[in-house]
Amino acid sequence: MTMPARTLALFVSDLHLQPSQPHTADAFLAFLAERAMAAQELYLLGDLFEYWAGDDDLAASFHQWIVRAIRAVSDAGVKVYWIAGNRDFLVGPGFAQAAGLSLLAEPHVATIAGQRIALVHGDAQCTDDIKYMEFRAQVRQPAWQQQFLALPLAQRKQIIADLREGSREAHATKSYEIMDVTPAAVAELFAATATDVVIHGHTHRPALHQTGGKRRYVLPDWEVDAEPPRGGWIAVDSQGAITRHDLDGHIL
Amino acid sequence: MTTVRITTNMGNITVELDADKAPKTVANFLEYAGKGHYDNTIFHRVIGDFMIQGGGFEPGMKQKPAEQTVENEGKNGLKNDVYTLAMARTSDPHSASAQFFINVKNNSFLDYPGQDGWGYAVFGKVTDGTDVVDQIRKVKTSRSGMFADVPVEPVIIEKVEVL
Repeated sequence: MTMPARTLALFVSDLHLQPSQPHTADAFLAFLAERAMAAQELYLLGDLFEYWAGDDDLAASFHQWIVRAIRAVSDAGVKVYWIAGNRDFLVGPGFAQAAGLSLLAEPHVATIAGQRIALVHGDAQCTDDIKYMEFRAQVRQPAWQQQFLALPLAQRKQIIADLREGSREAHATKSYEIMDVTPAAVAELFAATATDVVIHGHTHRPALHQTGGKRRYVLPDWEVDAEPPRGGWIAVDSQGAITRHDLDGHIL
Repeated sequence: MTTVRITTNMGNITVELDADKAPKTVANFLEYAGKGHYDNTIFHRVIGDFMIQGGGFEPGMKQKPAEQTVENEGKNGLKNDVYTLAMARTSDPHSASAQFFINVKNNSFLDYPGQDGWGYAVFGKVTDGTDVVDQIRKVKTSRSGMFADVPVEPVIIEKVEVL
């Protein structure tokens, strides 16, 4: 049993876990054991995986490793929640059951220490990236997903590999601005959820933005082999204070 | 007032249990104690400025089965003050079974209604051996598999007996 716990909630996103980055996966497992086990709730806010071709890929040993670690956290009594990212939106009930977590729709409003906090991955707020928003509208449709998941796993993986290559090329030409959330989308999110606090990831631009009584916390991405190493999380403590942490846990 | 002695490899802790304010919790605890459940368990989760938790694992982090759960009696007026004894649980308010913890500071955020409307049920307080509690809370801890804050040198509960 992990409770009593002093940390009410932890938020992470954008780990982009993949077999070619074992050190980042190690760091995530360390985070789960050292931090998540001592929290009441853990929110995974998207792009946990670099890609997810479908729940039938659960059997892959890399995925089993990650899923078992998350399962250990939920088995210990921590409530674990998931919001899909733009890379792993095909995560489904099979994964949720194996990992012992709950899939959330977005936006999700969590009430923690009496505060309403809106949670999204962040990709839906990058409304200036017209091409991406079109793509997103298509691939988030249940009909499209059903059709895609009906393809053999190997074929899905190939299509995804091609998409990732295309995305890498497109990134090289997209302007810095359109790859961020837009002020209008953020304002709409605050209004739609009737919250003063938003936590999201996706943009890989960790920060706290405060304007007119509203706070927008942005999570970092993780790549521990980078120079300097990237990673971190956001925590809400028993007093309701929201803090941003680097990979070593230091408060930013 | 029932008094129990927790015998550990670092000394004895005497606890007065409050069966008036926490009848179900005390009965549940005494049942586990009577069955010898706590014999050879450890304080497996020690956070020096928060609490020390035990009664669930044998040395080597082997979990002992504890099927019987007890209703949450957190709304009994007792506070999670320093040196009080309370039941550990998961996010399910009525999931407390055998694991307990001793507060090593005033942890008012655990008091009813707490964060989830239930809080943590306090059912006793240390009347002798607070020095032993203070020694336990200072032990060196590390990660053991998926568990953190595990004492490097096991703090073993040899037995829990009614005095």
